[in-house]
Amino acid sequence: MNEYPSAASRLDSQPNAWVAQTAVIREIIREVSGVATYQLALKNADAANAFHFEPGQFNMLYVPGAGESAISMSGDPDSTDTLTHTIRLAGNVTRRIAAMQVGETLGLRGPFGTSWPLEQCAGKNVILVAGGIGLPPLRPVIYRMLSERSKYENLFLLYGARSPEMRLYTSEYERWRAQGLDVRETVDRSAPGWRGNVGVVPQLLERLHDFDPERTIMMICGPDIMMRFTARAAMQQGMTAEQIWVSTERNMQCAVGLCGHCQLGPEFICKDGPVFRYDQISPYLKVEGL
Amino acid sequence: MTDVINSDNLRSCFLPLNQFARLFDVLAAREYEVIGPTVDQEAIVYDRLTSIDDLPRGWTDVQEPGKYRLESREDQALFGYSVGPHSWKKNLFPPVSTLSVGERTEEGWQFREPEESTPRYAFLGVRACELAALQIQDRVFTGGPYVDTPYQRRRMQALVIAVNCTQAAATCFCTSMNTGPRCQQGFDLALTELSDGFQVEVGTDLGEEILQELETVEISPAQETRAAAARQNAVDQIEREFDTTDIRDLLLSNLEHPQWNDVADRCLSCTNCTMVCPTCFCSSVEEVSDLSGDHVERERVWDSCFNVEFSYMNGGLVRNSIRNRYRQWMTHKLATWIDQFGTSGCVGCGRCITWCPVGIDLTEEVAAIPKSQT
Amino acid sequence: MKHHPLQEILMELRFTAGLSEEDQQKLASISRLKEFKAGETIFTEGSEHQDIYVIRSGRVEICMTIPARGCLPVLTLEAGDLVGWSSILKQGEMTATVGAIEDTEVIVINANELRALCDDDHDIGYQIMKRIAAALSQRLIACRLQVLDMFGDHSGRAHPTQEGAAE
Repeated sequence: MNEYPSAASRLDSQPNAWVAQTAVIREIIREVSGVATYQLALKNADAANAFHFEPGQFNMLYVPGAGESAISMSGDPDSTDTLTHTIRLAGNVTRRIAAMQVGETLGLRGPFGTSWPLEQCAGKNVILVAGGIGLPPLRPVIYRMLSERSKYENLFLLYGARSPEMRLYTSEYERWRAQGLDVRETVDRSAPGWRGNVGVVPQLLERLHDFDPERTIMMICGPDIMMRFTARAAMQQGMTAEQIWVSTERNMQCAVGLCGHCQLGPEFICKDGPVFRYDQISPYLKVEGL
Repeated sequence: MTDVINSDNLRSCFLPLNQFARLFDVLAAREYEVIGPTVDQEAIVYDRLTSIDDLPRGWTDVQEPGKYRLESREDQALFGYSVGPHSWKKNLFPPVSTLSVGERTEEGWQFREPEESTPRYAFLGVRACELAALQIQDRVFTGGPYVDTPYQRRRMQALVIAVNCTQAAATCFCTSMNTGPRCQQGFDLALTELSDGFQVEVGTDLGEEILQELETVEISPAQETRAAAARQNAVDQIEREFDTTDIRDLLLSNLEHPQWNDVADRCLSCTNCTMVCPTCFCSSVEEVSDLSGDHVERERVWDSCFNVEFSYMNGGLVRNSIRNRYRQWMTHKLATWIDQFGTSGCVGCGRCITWCPVGIDLTEEVAAIPKSQT
Repeated sequence: MKHHPLQEILMELRFTAGLSEEDQQKLASISRLKEFKAGETIFTEGSEHQDIYVIRSGRVEICMTIPARGCLPVLTLEAGDLVGWSSILKQGEMTATVGAIEDTEVIVINANELRALCDDDHDIGYQIMKRIAAALSQRLIACRLQVLDMFGDHSGRAHPTQEGAAE
């Protein structure tokens, strides 16, 4: 038998990374136009008990016949009876999911990817910055932090959406504020009756005064361009790239670093990311078409 | 790989030609499917071999950028050529394979691995550059946090009989990549062809076991000299040089260099280079459903970063020009591969140069980026 | 030197913080405080207006008129933000309507007096222009991001997803 890298000892001790598990839809919550939240539960009891994820990680949801889609988990990481996925209608697979009912099954592989750096935030201010569909991957951070609120200094959520009716999870903001999260919102374009901010998220950041930039961690999730300009504004206010974390996105297929699709420079977004420290990933984010 | 075997310390002996012919029977009796070089469609490809007669006896190849043709030799050498369009990845990482099977049952969808037996291959005629390529793909498919089970199973059973090159093609540059032409490690047996047989070097216990079933004789000093000379011939014939000093930093700090536009004018984005490259590993997964829709298989197929749809995301293409796709291929192969896997992704086999329809030579493309510009 | 009462305020506001004490004194001497109730208009699009404002507290909304669509909000501004920069650039008419959304307190500086101060003292002029340029550049970036509609759903337009390919 050929001797070659230590993986020889790992044969058969790992489940096949390509094969999905069965998950059933327990609940569907309509959020905003084109977006719904699915509570999934793994059918196999052992697998369900063993499933554990950290905020920022994602699953590959599989609709046989349509394909897979990478969806971040957006629920409470400390309560995994069901796994929460907020999904936006974007293509073939998500269109099929959108037509599914409670009780139907699909495939699930996961959890994959790197997670938000919660362990670095103890005793610090934390600014969560989300844009549009970028709020779901940050919600597990909110849940975790609010469950241990005294561990952190000032907590902020700066949230930008396209328009007032496209804001996600609005019914939770009151509770979050009451639990010690300073929630500030803005919209790109206004709508009749909107009395809140109109503008972009970097502007919300410019108006934040009660935080010491040296004792702050920032986590940003949203379109690439929003993350770049938010990071830029943060650094203009005295933060460094080592204090800023972003969640990136690329064409995700295998989620295990074997198919090559999700590469950005030397990084495989699926296994080296999707959460990166900004100084690590920004040189590659800035190159057009890399 | 474990320690580098010093090829000077390997047990070596002489295998007469008629005994080499028996190797096929020995392997068949051990239930190996022998894969090796054979002539097909005017090229030397890797396919099933049943006897010594399937080998390209008396053939050689003439290769240049964008050109490949076979010519007759004056002798009857069995391995008197360099590498062709196929590589061993075709068998370890098949172009099409089933990853998982889904069945719709009363309890919903159930997923499982496909029921297939793992092929038991004996690779006959693996060159030094290909040994390096196998190690690189081992690192890709089994050395990371997730192991590719299909690859691993085939690899664990594969027998590797290497062949030392006794000549080089004009497109070879293994010496620049430190991968050849001498076979140093990663084989069960290594052969050097002489006119009447082979010098055999034993790399593993399994190789020794197989050799025991053939009648070998002690190798004479004269034969050893002839074998060394034959191997030296390969070294002497290598024309191409590729300076890879600081290549990672050179490429990554020149991502907007005009040379990319230059090569983009010539590149057809045809994916030939990625198909023939022995280390390229990109793939896609497709759904294959039966008519009822209750039985769906996930199939993995070779893909290429040159394919237009490869970088599709959210309604658009991240790499939406040939320039960006060529840049991705080359910077990955020669630069970011080092970050990811610890070595270069290139083994200097020259296939991409030979099989590019317009003869793009990546060694020249790199050389065109002036080293002073950093 | 006795502090002008408004100097305290200028020191805290983002727009004027960092100016030398002397410059803040000069500015303070041509400024005054003003209050607007929620719902009050500060100036209207197309009007000729002589004042420039730095918001001290509250929130204002910038909107522009499109026939049959009304006055559409394009931006909101808060404490520290500059409003009415057109005045100092002597552009003639205001380019948008600005109204208070909440009870708002502003520092008002007469644009003509400010311009005269800058013409007279180029050092302070440079400082003021620098700050106006910085404020406008941030506003420009914001505007571009809004125009790019980065949260919009742009999928399904040019390239249909391959069946089976992840999205």
